Amino acid sequence: MSDRQEANSNADGWTRSDMVIVAVVVLAVGAAATLPSISSARPANEVPVESVSANASSPTAPAWGDIPAVTMALSSAPSGLPEASNVSVQSARLQAATNDTHAFVRVSWSDATADRNVTGPTAFFDAVAVQVPTNESARPPIAMGGSNNPVNVWYWSGDGTSEELLAGGAGTTTEFASQSVDARAAHENDSWHVTFTRELAGDANRTDLDVERDVDVAVAVWNGSYDERAGRKAVSDWHYLALGPGPSGPPYQTILWAAAGLAVLFVSVVTIEGVRRTRGDGA
Amino acid sequence: MSTDDVQDQGEDTHIDIADGVDHQVAMVMDLNKCIGCQTCTIACKTLWTEGGGRDYMYWNNVETKPGKGYPRDWEESAGGWESEDHSDRKPGDIHPREEYGGDWEFNHSEIMYDGSDEPLRPQTDPEWGPNWDEDEGAGEYPNSYYFYLPRICNHCTHPSCVEACPRKALYKREEDGIVLVDQERCRGYRYCVEGCPYDKVYYNAMTKKSEKCIFCYPRIEGEGPDDEVHATACAEECPPQLRLVGYLDDEDGPIYKLVEEYEVALPLHPEFETTPNVYYIPPYAPPQHSEDGESIQSIERIPREYLEELFGDRVHDALDTIERHRDRVRRGGESELMEILQDKNPAQQYRLEVFE
Repeated sequence: MSDRQEANSNADGWTRSDMVIVAVVVLAVGAAATLPSISSARPANEVPVESVSANASSPTAPAWGDIPAVTMALSSAPSGLPEASNVSVQSARLQAATNDTHAFVRVSWSDATADRNVTGPTAFFDAVAVQVPTNESARPPIAMGGSNNPVNVWYWSGDGTSEELLAGGAGTTTEFASQSVDARAAHENDSWHVTFTRELAGDANRTDLDVERDVDVAVAVWNGSYDERAGRKAVSDWHYLALGPGPSGPPYQTILWAAAGLAVLFVSVVTIEGVRRTRGDGA
Repeated sequence: MSTDDVQDQGEDTHIDIADGVDHQVAMVMDLNKCIGCQTCTIACKTLWTEGGGRDYMYWNNVETKPGKGYPRDWEESAGGWESEDHSDRKPGDIHPREEYGGDWEFNHSEIMYDGSDEPLRPQTDPEWGPNWDEDEGAGEYPNSYYFYLPRICNHCTHPSCVEACPRKALYKREEDGIVLVDQERCRGYRYCVEGCPYDKVYYNAMTKKSEKCIFCYPRIEGEGPDDEVHATACAEECPPQLRLVGYLDDEDGPIYKLVEEYEVALPLHPEFETTPNVYYIPPYAPPQHSEDGESIQSIERIPREYLEELFGDRVHDALDTIERHRDRVRRGGESELMEILQDKNPAQQYRLEVFE
């Protein structure tokens, strides 16, 4: 038995059980290092904001293929208008990116009919709107903000026009005197892809996106050939553009997890050494 | 009586005008005088709706009744209010463009300049248009019948178009109750178009906004080139001068007398519950003829039931009142009502400065 024990020992005197313990420790440390990334899997209402080097204002820019998309469930808005609950679009995908100067937001949704032309009284445009709080630190009422807590609305219509609007509740949308939002659209494979581009910096009544905090965002979609317009629209709940570090963001998080990993390592080494000494004493 | 006296009386009036409105413009059209010449239609079109996406709009139109009207079957497209308490609106429909009628291209140039001997005709194959069923009417010879119905926006006391707009882009003017579309606020949603039971709000696909009759407000304000107050173009240009223009709450004016005192001027389709401020003297027609050409005094040519459909059950009393006064005058008596209906004095016909 003693011979076998000696045969199982390596040159430094480590036994097989020592090796197992070390392996467990390595796994534990590895887990400690991995856990942060597991624990930071996105909340459902978070829209990650990627950094891009190029201009992503085109809805078909290659960069959009690498930017994660968040699927937003859409439902009718309780506007009280005729047929308000009768809307057709069930979901939209939202992507966001920034470069040094601009923010890019792309909304995509399924719509087989591209309603670009309104030639008569019964035709309506497809449209999409992105809504962000004017004051990015306070969440406004979802239905187009409130009189004391307005929202910026970036609106694109199927005729190719876009508007930058300010709203303080339903029925109050007002165009900014000067427009700073550009929108471009593509209709491919029965889907619309619309990108909104705006400078990061805000000004009076214009949402500041050059911030290190999350900014709420919601979208609305109108299907023109389904007679959707005004408050008859499919809308999302509030999500947020992950522009900030968040309450458990990277610096804070890294320090905590590093400390936890070191603690695990320390306890393991002490334990191994204790076991070894106990065995040594026994021999 | 001074102008001030009139104004004081106006403020004490019992007339139901809209909340927040000082005075209410109104119009009375005597359908017995309309000859269907469309001069009013052209006067309006020339002034307000030539081009710019307005080609298909006739803020003033004259349609033959019975008939489908403009836009086609407008009376069946709903809108208005569910009841007289004005708490719930009745959903309406928007008419497709073809039900208003197309803007047809004609071969003017070929005929006028290129020497073509083709007949002048549309270069499309039209299937409907304003006045498509002109003069058809109803009934069988020798008892067929029809009459003309000029229509503008009714500038209602309870306008369902105003209530329908989620942006409050439509409003009643405080000073005179004219219903207008604020072109700055309008975003072309067209809830007003479907909300008006008279289909008198139109969508302009070029401006992407809705438009409607403005009761010629620059004319009645004296904002024209001559700085003079004028009645609406449709009224002033009318060859038989069938329209009275003024204020409903001008108790010394003929409109008040016809509407409120004699009750012979009636709103169109009162069951829509919008309380129009355009009123009609219902049409009179000779009685039916027998096969040998004799008048049958007991059978009216235009069925009362049809007039009741258009003007409600008050049409019976209105026609009876007119008949009574006509008979009185025939017998050598006097009738203020008959004098008003035959008055050709423009100062009475167009009373637009009584409240200034």
